[in-house]
Amino acid sequence: MRPDYNDETPIVMHVDLNSAFASIEQQARPMLRGRPVAIVNRRTEHTSIVTASYEAKALGVKVGMLFTEAARLAPGLIAIESEPEKYRFVYKKLTKILNSYSPNVTMKSIDEGVIDFHGVINCRPIEEIGLEIKQRLRDEVGRAMRCNIGIGPNRFLAKTAAGLHKPDGMDVIDHNNLRDVFAKLTLTDLTGIAEHNWARLHSVGIDTPLQFLDSDVVTLQKIVFKSIVGQHWYQRLRGWEVDDRVFDMKRVGRQYVLEDRDLTRTQIMQRLHHLCESAGSRMRSQNKVARGIYVYAKTPDHRYWHASKLTQLPFYSDKTIYSLAERLFIGAPDSIREIGVHCYGLSNDNDRQTSLFGDILVREHQLVDAIDEINRRYGERTLHSADTLRTGTFVKQKIPFGSTRFL
Amino acid sequence: MNDETFLNERIEVLAAYGDGLNPCRPLKFKQPNGREVTVREIGLRYPSAQGKRTLHIFDVTDGSADYRLEFDSERLTWHLTREGDHYAA
Repeated sequence: MRPDYNDETPIVMHVDLNSAFASIEQQARPMLRGRPVAIVNRRTEHTSIVTASYEAKALGVKVGMLFTEAARLAPGLIAIESEPEKYRFVYKKLTKILNSYSPNVTMKSIDEGVIDFHGVINCRPIEEIGLEIKQRLRDEVGRAMRCNIGIGPNRFLAKTAAGLHKPDGMDVIDHNNLRDVFAKLTLTDLTGIAEHNWARLHSVGIDTPLQFLDSDVVTLQKIVFKSIVGQHWYQRLRGWEVDDRVFDMKRVGRQYVLEDRDLTRTQIMQRLHHLCESAGSRMRSQNKVARGIYVYAKTPDHRYWHASKLTQLPFYSDKTIYSLAERLFIGAPDSIREIGVHCYGLSNDNDRQTSLFGDILVREHQLVDAIDEINRRYGERTLHSADTLRTGTFVKQKIPFGSTRFL
Repeated sequence: MNDETFLNERIEVLAAYGDGLNPCRPLKFKQPNGREVTVREIGLRYPSAQGKRTLHIFDVTDGSADYRLEFDSERLTWHLTREGDHYAA
């Protein structure tokens, strides 16, 4: 062992549901078990695959692939439209299970979480707890549910361990086997090393995880990453914790791939209006206000158009968000296949009366709060703009990847 | 594509209520055409909030097809809302 490796007993656990949405559908619908299943966001032939079951993956189906392309690879591939409510339920079950072992649990996304056992008194052997979590998942959600468990001295190595034997594996990485594990991986197997970082490492002759591990901190900080990030990688690879951080929400938004390329401008604006309502609702659910608005459009020939505006006063209501977005969207191209809107410059909504227009803002808040309360009580989109009366059929609530804020 | 059929049929259900993790277990139900279906497995049961109202969704199978039953906890009614055998290519 090298002296700078973290040699403490590994007590950070990463729990990852295997092919989560496909597994949940196979759990919910027993007739799907053992069959190639693809989760899609829309019931059309031209939709992309959000998640594939292990049976589908074994036939070459990959996430992001067009369904038509995947169906050629995997005859009999069954497309199931995603049902976020169902996945949210399993997420809550998983969260409840993980929270019963330690007060220090971080849900990383809708299908993975980290339990940090530091400070847990009289902790049982971690691998015993891992096996128990697998069993509880089967008992409390369903017998077809499986998860991968990784145990390590820090979050990064725990996640790496969770990816070693899919599906249903459980692995431990510590200072004793770190080099052996890294010897069997490629650089892009490491979380955080995708195309861009791979190119940075490759440019200085680092092509394997072991070479990465053996690089000195100066090379990583001064030459490869040219920032403190290099030092973080040096520590992370050696099992020291650098990822136990919570990031503030920087922006909130939604995007939508148009269901039809021949929509009129009015129809496109109605869908943009729907996205603004959705983004506004998400922003307010986090008790935030925004000062910036950003809209974008992608064209069928893969061009990207965008516009943004920063306002003097913070805004909060769907009406203001749409009004700003609508004005910006005047410059958008004619032919569009995808639209999106984001609110940025977020701050906490706790300073309502400091401007000259304080009373106007307070009245707007009261009205918007009343609308939100009606929607909470009687169901999402009970009350919304007449302009978006028919858009709910197309612009549906989809799976929130990454952040768990809106689950 | 999936071959599910979307329905909204009020149905009669025979259910057992007990303790444990799944206190309500539909055992049999009658399809609108009168055919009786015996539930072999409850795949997943989850709540669906419709504002303050809660529907309990039961994804179940009889071994040859999957079904979705919805129990309205306010009105105490059951509906059959989906059927699918997933065999269509």
